[in-house]
Amino acid sequence: MTGVTSEGFCWLTGILAAASLVAVALAQDAEPSKTLIPGKGSDLATARCATCHDAQHITRAKLSRGEWEYNIRNMIERGAPIAPGEIPVILEYLATYYNRDSPAPAPDPSAAGFGMDAGGGDPVQQLLNANACAACHTLDKRVVGPSFREFAAKYAGDGEAPAKLARKIKDGGSGTWGSVPMPPNAAISETDLGQIVGWILQQR
Amino acid sequence: MSNPSKEWGVNPPRTELTRRGFMTRVAGAGAAVALSGVPVQGWTQDKPAAKPPTDPPGTVPNPGVMAEKVPEMQAHSERPLTGSVPAEHHNYAVTPNDRMFIRNNHLTPDLDAGKHRLTVKGLVDRELAYSVDELRKSFKVVTTQAMLECAGSGRASFVPRPSGTPWSPTGGMGCPRWTGVRLRDVLAAAGVKAGAVHVAGQGGDFGVVATAAPVIRSIPMAKAMEEHTLIAWDMNEKPLPKVHGYPLRLMVPGWVGSASTKWLHTLTVLDAPFKGTYMDGSYRIPRVPVKPGEKMPPDAVITEAWPVKSMITHPAPDATVKLGRPVLIEGRAWVGEGAVDRVDLSFNEGASWQPAAINTGGDKYAWRIFSFEYVPKTPGYVTVLARARDDKGSLQPIVSTWNPLGYFWNGIHRVGFVVEA
Repeated sequence: MTGVTSEGFCWLTGILAAASLVAVALAQDAEPSKTLIPGKGSDLATARCATCHDAQHITRAKLSRGEWEYNIRNMIERGAPIAPGEIPVILEYLATYYNRDSPAPAPDPSAAGFGMDAGGGDPVQQLLNANACAACHTLDKRVVGPSFREFAAKYAGDGEAPAKLARKIKDGGSGTWGSVPMPPNAAISETDLGQIVGWILQQR
Repeated sequence: MSNPSKEWGVNPPRTELTRRGFMTRVAGAGAAVALSGVPVQGWTQDKPAAKPPTDPPGTVPNPGVMAEKVPEMQAHSERPLTGSVPAEHHNYAVTPNDRMFIRNNHLTPDLDAGKHRLTVKGLVDRELAYSVDELRKSFKVVTTQAMLECAGSGRASFVPRPSGTPWSPTGGMGCPRWTGVRLRDVLAAAGVKAGAVHVAGQGGDFGVVATAAPVIRSIPMAKAMEEHTLIAWDMNEKPLPKVHGYPLRLMVPGWVGSASTKWLHTLTVLDAPFKGTYMDGSYRIPRVPVKPGEKMPPDAVITEAWPVKSMITHPAPDATVKLGRPVLIEGRAWVGEGAVDRVDLSFNEGASWQPAAINTGGDKYAWRIFSFEYVPKTPGYVTVLARARDDKGSLQPIVSTWNPLGYFWNGIHRVGFVVEA
C-alpha cells in the first residue's frame, strides 16, 4: 500500500503502539539546526543556499539522492548562482548528510572548506562563506558579481581603496560594475570587514 | 510533549521560527541579531550561521509583515517567508486579513500603487497598460469570496516528508473576499487573438540574488475567462496587504495558490503554456503515482484545481467540554472546481459516519461551513473526523497519494478533545 503513512497504517489496522508514535512525534518536533553539519562540501552548500534560504530548509529535510538532485536542478532554474562544477559537490554533501535512506556520518569540520584558496581552515575564507560573499563572488571568475581579483585590480594604487571597498560592502549599491545590485551588509563587524577588505586588495 | 493522536499523520514543526523570533529582530532595533546570534548546539557552536543579507531597498522586512498578523500565525520559514494559522484559529466565516497564510517565493516587494502599471501583451490586438485607478474606472468592479490554498498545504503529513515548506494539514489556505475586475473583461479589451491557449501572470517580487528567476505562471484560457477569475486590489474591502500582492494580484479561485500571481504587473497571452521554473520545475505532480521517496518522473503535469478537502475549526485540539452539554462541532469544506455536497463526521475513528449540516449558499468558490451538534454521553477522550464529498462523488481519502513535491494533501482531518464529567 504505497502512499499510506506509517501513522495512517497503524491507525487503519489498529495495531498502534502508542510509544513508537510518541517517539516519531518527538523526533520530528525537534528544532532543526540553523547550520549545516560540517563535512566535505558543507561550506559550499552554505554559501550557495544561504543567500536566499534559512539553513533549516536543508536541516529539517531528509531526502533521497534523487530528490536532492531534482531539488538542486530546480533551484538552479530559479536562479541559484551555482556553477556546473559545484553541482556534484553540493549533491554529494546533501545526499551524504541529509539522506533518509542512510544515517549521516560524523561531522568533519576539517573537510568543510572549499576552493577559494588552498587550505580549508582559512579564516578569511570562513568569513566570506559566513557572510554569504561567496554566493556571488569567487577568486578569479565572474559569477553574479565581479571576482575578487577584479576588485583588487580596480583599486590598485588607490590609497583610499580600503575605505571605499569597506563602504561598498557595508552599504551595498550598484552601478560600479553593472546593474546587478550588491546587497548591503549592515550587520558585519568592523573587525571582520577589515579582514575581508585587506584580503581582497591583496588578490592581484 | 505534543499529542501525536490529535491530528494523525501530522507533526508540524511548530518550534522553529515563531513570531517571537521576528519580534526579537524588531526589538533588536534593526540589527540582524536573530539569525546570526542564535546559540547553536554542540559541535556547531563555534561556527557562525551564515548571516542573511540585510533586507535590500524596495522590500518590506519580515517583522513588518508579521506585525500585521495575529500571534497565532506560525512562520514555517523566514527566507522565503511562509506562515499560517492552524485550523482552530480559522473559525471565521470569512478569513480575516491577519489570518491569511503567507507564501512568498522571494522577498516582499514594497510597491508604489501610484506608479504601478499592469501591462497586457502577447497574442492580443492591442497592447494595453492600466494603473489600478484606470482598472477600477474602466471595468465592472466585482467582489467574491473565494478559496486560495498553497499547492503544498498539508505537506508535513506526507511520509516520507518531501522537501518544501512543512505546512500542517490545514495550513496554507484561507477564504477572504476579493475585490477587483474580471480578467476576462481586461483580456476582451485587449482583444485576444486566435490561437491563444494560456495567459501568464508575472509578479514584481525579486530575490536576494539578481539571478533569481521572475515568478511567472500561466493558466489555460478557459480558467482565465471564468467569471470569478479576478485581477484584485482589495482583500476583505481593504487594499491588499503588501505581503498578499499589493497593489494588484491575480485571484484564480480554487486553484493552487501559485496561479494567483501576487504583485501582478504583466499579463501575456500565449499560444502554449509558459515554459519556466514555476511551470516546469515546481508545482508538478506525476501523471502516474510513484513509489514514495522517488524523484519526479519526466511524465508529470502542472497542478491546477484543489481536490475536495475539509477541516475541523472547532473545538480546538485537546479542548475540554462538559459531559451532557451540547458541543457545536464546526468546520469548513471546499473543492477547487465543483461543489461540496456532503460532509460526514465520525466519532469512532471512521467505523461509522453521520452527516453534518452544511450551508450550501455563498459564492461559487467560497468554502462551505459545516456544523454538528454533538452531545457527549461518556467521559474521556473523544476524536472527531470530518470527510467531505464533492458533486462528482469524490471523497477525501484517509491518506493522500504521495508525490515528490508534496502537493494536494487532502487527507481526512481529525481532532481530539476531552469530555469532563
